[in-house]
Parts: sequence; structure tokens; C-alpha cells
Amino acid sequence: MGRFDQTVNFSLHKDGEDKVRIILQTVYEALEEKGYNPINQLIGYMISGDPAYITSHNNARSLICKIERDEILEVLLRHYLNEK
Amino acid sequence: MEDILIVKGGTPLYGSIRVSGAKNAGLVLMVAAILAEGETILDNMPRIRDVEVMTFILNELGVRTEWKDDNSLAIYSPPGRIKTKTSYELSRMLRASNLFLGALLGREKEAAISLPGGCDIGSRPMDLHLKGVQALGAEVEIEHGYIYACTKRPRGNNVYLDFPSVGATENIIMMAVKTPGNTVIENAAKEPEIVDLANFLNSMGAKIRGAGTDVIKIEGVSELKPVRYAIIPDRIEAGTFMVAGAISKGEVLVENVIPTHIYPVIAKLQEAGAVVKETESGILVKAGDKIRPVDIKTLPYPGFPTDMQSQMMAMLCLAEGTSVIVENVFENRFQIVDELKRMGADIKVEGHTAVVKGVKKLYGTKVRATDLRAGAALILAGLVAEGETVIEEAIHIFRGYENIAQKLNHLGAQITVK
Repeated sequence: MGRFDQTVNFSLHKDGEDKVRIILQTVYEALEEKGYNPINQLIGYMISGDPAYITSHNNARSLICKIERDEILEVLLRHYLNEK
Repeated sequence: MEDILIVKGGTPLYGSIRVSGAKNAGLVLMVAAILAEGETILDNMPRIRDVEVMTFILNELGVRTEWKDDNSLAIYSPPGRIKTKTSYELSRMLRASNLFLGALLGREKEAAISLPGGCDIGSRPMDLHLKGVQALGAEVEIEHGYIYACTKRPRGNNVYLDFPSVGATENIIMMAVKTPGNTVIENAAKEPEIVDLANFLNSMGAKIRGAGTDVIKIEGVSELKPVRYAIIPDRIEAGTFMVAGAISKGEVLVENVIPTHIYPVIAKLQEAGAVVKETESGILVKAGDKIRPVDIKTLPYPGFPTDMQSQMMAMLCLAEGTSVIVENVFENRFQIVDELKRMGADIKVEGHTAVVKGVKKLYGTKVRATDLRAGAALILAGLVAEGETVIEEAIHIFRGYENIAQKLNHLGAQITVK
């Protein structure tokens, strides 16, 4: 069996986590600057996948689309559970 | 009045084209603006006929409007009461006039809405709209072509939509944001225009969660404040320009677009042989060597949009093979078929299904824009037809496309307006 036939566990490395953190922070600030409630908007994006939740201000919409939502969730969950 | 477009075919389109604000988002946001007293400014608003008609309806209700610049529309929603009855003369020109039902019930607790008009693409009943507002406490009567609705004790409630109707979802949201208690809409429409409405209302102080999913939760608030807000790009206009690049054998960069909103169109264009790339500045569409046949089924979002069906059909008329198009949303959306056949297309329709057999060439002739999207599709067909295509009743096209002739001419098309 070749290695591409096997189930593989994916995990984000530190670089990936940093990338997610930087993008989330930038998006959060862009939403705040435009007068939105950033948490509500990010929740909307996470559950619907619609980038219309994210302002185009400061290129935030393009940035958030550079990472998959499951990557964001993985980082958030990992961080939250490690904090506990 | 300018009502005829003449398209001279045969020139591949090259260059970049900027998409305007979304018609269907702009119209609902104009209505929703009455929920807050004061000056709301909507940026990225397209200057199209439907928007013009909507400003007339707002003016008639006592809400002043003013263009601040080319695409920024100010809406002055006065304090106190506004009129609650829309006129037949204006409402019959615009389907979206039915959205005043929810907005007026939210603001004034009463509404008298003339049963609306719009494109003749099939029966679009108001049942679900009424079911929704009734669930929130409205009493409704239909008399002499009007819906009369009022509510003495509005309250939040659960509403299950039998079909994910965009208009019904929007009407319920606009009533629920100012209705005490919690409202939950199940099987809600998921279109980007719903998300834009929720974003707009939330920025005004509303409490809406879940827009863009099939369950939307709304907690009523007593007051909303006016804001300045930019409308999302028009995904259908974007899709139309993408097909223009592919059908004309050219290469077009479509700017100001949210790619997620048009993934089904991207996927079908790629199946048809076009090269489609997302870039930093937009979506680049490069025509393939030939157009491959593609099967399409229209569905509510995120499925393939019915508003792009006619444009794709125009392109598939020239495919090397047979395509099957199934229209699942509107029952009268194949009126374009007779017009395309006049241009030499080989299409057979049976019920909700059209079988499009590709031909080598289309020929310019006199045709009629039977509805907005059919009109856009005839322009696309005209771009590649031999000779001149004269599109009558082009007023339908101007209802929804901002400066379409100028925009396409900028890419090399030869379109004149008469």
C-alpha cells in the first residue's frame, strides 16, 4: 500500500498557527475599525463560510480566504483547550 | 426612451471590467433603511432602473433620497410615522416592492402592499412571506390586489419555510428585528444578499445570527440607528462578464467580485473548457480552444443560480456537443429559447428541461429581451453572432445592469444604445 492510500492525521505547525493568529488579528481590527462587532462577524463567517461577513477594508476579506475555516477552528480549539 | 441595443458580433473581449454593487442586495437594503430614523448612506449602489423605481417608492412613502455621488445613495428616513401604502403603478414595475411588507410591519406595525410585478419568469407567490409575518403576529387580508397587514401585539416566533425563499426570508428578518422576543427562521434562504442584509441591520444595532445558513436567529430590538454601508458586488453581473470573456474567445479580468459567491459558475465555465483563475485583483477568465458541452441544474444558493442560466445557455449554443439544462427554480425561464433559435441555435424544451445542441455559428437578427437575464444572454450571443443583433425591449436589461454597453465596449465590444 502506497503512502497516499493511508489515513493521515494533519496538524498545523507553529508557522500555520502564527499565520492564522496574524490573519485573525488583522481581520478583527479591520472589522472593529469599520464599526462592526468583530466577534459576531467572525462567527457568521465561520458558520456560513460567506466572506461577505468580512469587510474588504484593509484587505481583510482576501486575507481570511487564504486560510481554510477548519484550520482556524483547529487553532482556536487547540488554543482554548491548552489554556484550560 | 432608450430601448434598443445593437450588438455587432465577432470581436473577442480583452481587458478588465469592474463589477457594480449587487442589485438584489441594494434593493433590499434601501427598504431596510426605513427601519432606522435618520440618514443612511448606501455605497456601491448601482445606478440602474430598478434602483430608480425603488427611490420613487420610498419618496412616495415620505422617505427622501439623494445621490451623494455616482454610487452613494442617501436615504433620509424621517422621525415619526411614514405612509404605509405602496402604489400599484410603481409596485407593478418592481418585484422587490414586496419587501416593504416586513419593513413597514417592523417600523409602523401596518402595511398595505400592492401585489408586485417584476420579470415575467413565472409565478412567485407571496404565501411564505405571509406565513412568516403571520407567525410574528400580523393579521393579513388580501383585497383588490393589495395585501393589508397589521399587528397589535407582535412577538417573536419560530417560522419554518417550506422553500428557502429569499424574499420571504428578507421580509421576516426585517419584521423580526423590531419585534419583541426571539424569532427563528428554519430552512431560510442562504443567498449572499441575505448575509448582506443581516450585516447591514447588525451594523445598525440589530441582533441577527446565522444568516448564510439555513437557521437564522433574531432577537428583536427597540431601536436601530442609521449607518453608512457598502453593498456587496453583484455576483450575477460578475458571472455575466465571465461568460462574456469565455464566449467571445477573449480574456477578461473581472474585478470587485467575491469568488465564493460564484463558485458554481466558475465550476461550469471550467467544465466548458475555459481557464478560470482567482487572482489578487479578481477572477481571470480565458476562453478555451473550444466550448465543451455542460449539463446544468439550477438550484437555490449555493447551487447554480437561476439568474445565470440564460447566459450559460447562450454560450452552450456554440458548444461542440449537446448540453442539458434543468431549470428547477422558475417555471417560465426558457422564454429566451425562441429568441436564441431566431439566431440559429438548436434548442428543444420539454417541461423544465432544455436540450441545447451546439451549432457552429449564431447569426445576428432582431430579438427581444423577454426578461432581465434573457436580455443579458442575448447580448452575449450577439457578441459572437455573425452580423448585427438588434435587441428590442432592452429596458429589461437596464433594470439590472449598470452601464452594460459602456462596460463591455471598454473590453472591445461594439454595442450601441438607441
